[in-house]
Amino acid sequence: MAVKIRLRRMGQKKAPFYRVIVADSRSPRDGRFIEEIGTYDPNTDPSTFNINEEAAKKWLANGAQPTEVVGKLFKLAGINK
Amino acid sequence: MKNWQKSIFVKKKHLTPILLSCKISKVMEMEEILKQALLYDFYGELLTGHQKRVYEDVVLNDYSFSEVAEDLGISRQGVHDMIRRCNRLLADYEEKLHLVEKFVHLRDQVGRIQRIAGEQTGNPAMKEIEKIAAAVLEEL
Repeated sequence: MAVKIRLRRMGQKKAPFYRVIVADSRSPRDGRFIEEIGTYDPNTDPSTFNINEEAAKKWLANGAQPTEVVGKLFKLAGINK
Repeated sequence: MKNWQKSIFVKKKHLTPILLSCKISKVMEMEEILKQALLYDFYGELLTGHQKRVYEDVVLNDYSFSEVAEDLGISRQGVHDMIRRCNRLLADYEEKLHLVEKFVHLRDQVGRIQRIAGEQTGNPAMKEIEKIAAAVLEEL
């Protein structure tokens, strides 16, 4: 059972806002997720994000796969495996 | 807000030009999904139901091509082609209508009005202007 860390679009139209979530890759589309570990808000200038570093590291250590975009966020936040 | 800036600027000092441009292109790639999201907000309704579903999954919900392919029972290549076609369709609409460009420009300008008016504390007219600007931003 693979666990993924991905972005999920929230917010209203024309004002994108993202959550960084941990979810089972097997249950796509049903909206459930295991844990929310951060947010990414591109509406501010410069964009802001915050990530629960502890949780992120815990999930990475347990083998959760971040998507490409989330990987970039992690890098910017200084989180490495 | 500061963290994002700091993480880029602090590292800049220690980076060689090549590494630096990698760093910048990565930030730009983040902007890419934003551009796609905005285009979708404006012109998404012009796509077909199937196109919308695939595009939403990939661009808004960050699923990989293969995950979407498996979910819908089509090939990974099919998803890839679909995304490319949608990107081109949306970009074509923008090229003709410029709605996103106008929206971003207006939002920035009205935001400036709001900020400047907000700084003039003690002036009731400015307070009114700030309120109107906020309402305009809400309606954009």
